[in-house]
Amino acid sequence: MISFSIVLTPREKTMSQNRRKHFFINKPLQIRFMLAVIIPLFLINLVALAGLYFGIWSKVLDTFSNEQTLNDLVTASRMVEYEQARHPVASQDFSSLSFFKQTEKLSQRQREVFKGILDETNRSLLWKFSLLLVLLAWGTIFISHKIAGPFFRFSKAFNAVEKGDYRSRVTLRKLDEGHPVAQEFNDAMEKTDHLLSNLKTLTQEKDAPQAVAKIKEKLSTVQTSTNA
Amino acid sequence: MLNRLTCFPLAFFIIFSLAPVPLTAFEPSPDDRALLNKIERDTLQYFTRFSDKMTGLTKDSSRTGSPSSVAATGFALAAYAIGASRGWIAQDYAYARILTTLQTLRHKAAHQNGFFYHFLDVRTGKRVWGSEASSIDTALAVAGALLAARYYPGTEVEKLAQEIYERVNWKWMMNNSDFICMGWTPESKFLPYYWDSYNELMLLVALAIGAPAFPVPPRAWERWLRPEGNYNNHRVIYASTGSLFTYQFSHAYIDFRNLEDLGNNYFENSREATLANRDYSMSFSGRYQGYSENSWGLSASVGPGGYKAYGGKPGGGIQDGTIAPYATLSSIVFTPELSTKAARFFYDNYQKELYGNFGFKDAFNLDKNWWANEYLGIDQGITLLMLENYLNGEIVWKKFMELPAIKKWIELTGLEKRSASPVLN
Repeated sequence: MISFSIVLTPREKTMSQNRRKHFFINKPLQIRFMLAVIIPLFLINLVALAGLYFGIWSKVLDTFSNEQTLNDLVTASRMVEYEQARHPVASQDFSSLSFFKQTEKLSQRQREVFKGILDETNRSLLWKFSLLLVLLAWGTIFISHKIAGPFFRFSKAFNAVEKGDYRSRVTLRKLDEGHPVAQEFNDAMEKTDHLLSNLKTLTQEKDAPQAVAKIKEKLSTVQTSTNA
Repeated sequence: MLNRLTCFPLAFFIIFSLAPVPLTAFEPSPDDRALLNKIERDTLQYFTRFSDKMTGLTKDSSRTGSPSSVAATGFALAAYAIGASRGWIAQDYAYARILTTLQTLRHKAAHQNGFFYHFLDVRTGKRVWGSEASSIDTALAVAGALLAARYYPGTEVEKLAQEIYERVNWKWMMNNSDFICMGWTPESKFLPYYWDSYNELMLLVALAIGAPAFPVPPRAWERWLRPEGNYNNHRVIYASTGSLFTYQFSHAYIDFRNLEDLGNNYFENSREATLANRDYSMSFSGRYQGYSENSWGLSASVGPGGYKAYGGKPGGGIQDGTIAPYATLSSIVFTPELSTKAARFFYDNYQKELYGNFGFKDAFNLDKNWWANEYLGIDQGITLLMLENYLNGEIVWKKFMELPAIKKWIELTGLEKRSASPVLN
């Protein structure tokens, strides 16, 4: 039996560690962000789609109102209507055509033809609109993740510092927002870590007065609330 | 003495209550009669204007692009003969038009076993729009041809009309059933619909039973349903749609006043149906401004939403405020006074929108401010024939009832002749 084992390079290990494990790392923030993006986009899309939808259909119906086309359409539908008059069918219920005032004077057969086209268009648009919504949702999660991710890592780093771990650093993914701030944070943590490391080393020295003097010298540049 | 005094009025009452109820002896005013004559004359112009000069086939509708309708063509044949007899068109012209049309129907028009296709190309006579070989439309064409033949006895017109009639294989259209099928198409063969219940079928069945060739058995008359309904105390053997035209078409040619069928008189039935139809629309007068005592007539017609089988009760009762003046006028033999008043009302109030070169346009709907911009051939035809019967001494009935086919139908079906006729005016 042959078995395979995968050996990861250090870079791959880093990437693996940084890979998104959760889509929602800061749910309230991301949801707020998503809503802030989705709602305006949704409304814009809705208005645009409605404009296109009604615009196109009004145009289509106007075109069919063209005398020559209308005559052909009326003749075709009249043939069916004559038959329906001999064998009455149930009255038409509310349909998507009810939104269009232009259809009020259309015959039953004409309405059937248009309803067929309209329903087909509606199905097609619904499918595309659903896909658009899914893409929009995924997009906003992706974008919000670039902001929420750094916040999460900063928060984790601050928690570590609070617990006394000054080795903590913030590592962001390549495309995350806040790289300069993370760099500044890491530089600050580096200095603090270095200072505290030196102070810890000095506390190990046997010559106590000399160690205290060195500690004082090191702390002389540090501004704290006890300066006053 | 007292007994004798009370017996006479009682006997008088009994005798008159058992006798057929006559129509109201209504006489239109000279103005109204002139109007009705004008309407009939203008209506005739539809057929001269919308029939092809080469083939004689008449367009189904005045609308551009309309095909010819074989039923409308049948009405045209009758219309030319009537028009000439009234002096509205020249005899030579009428005869030539009738002859041309009959030659087309005999030799050129597409048919199946003598049954013409419902819609034909005006120029070529070929089947169009995938229409069916229609039994009722063929009957209307044959009826028109036979009537025209009665106006021109012993001529080529009579010969052609008879040939067209004899060619129709009525029995084949029964499709081995008890009823006559509504139609046949090369693609689907017999339609799944049969003339099995009361409506405009009576003319069709009469011609089929009385036919000189391929007649149907008398059971085709006996078996169709005669459903009874009641609306506002009007008992009616009714058509499923409740459309007025169903109570009129057969009566354009056949005089049912003297004929009793299983205790039913279809002339009186149509009168009751007309009154019920009017009452039904009146019951909606609060809802639709178009309905009033002089504005009524629910029948199959074009409307704001296309061609629909509008009608009253008993029946489907489909209505949306649309009125078909042709139907109101075509009831004139049943309701002379009401129809005349309605005609006057329509003409005086809606002349601008509703009346044109060819009489009243097909329909209107006040609530939707909708006015038909077209005339329909069959609606023009029924208007003309009914007005002719009313205004010109019941001439169509008289001529048609003399046909051997009609006499044969009456004899074979055992229809009983009634002693007295209700008067028209």
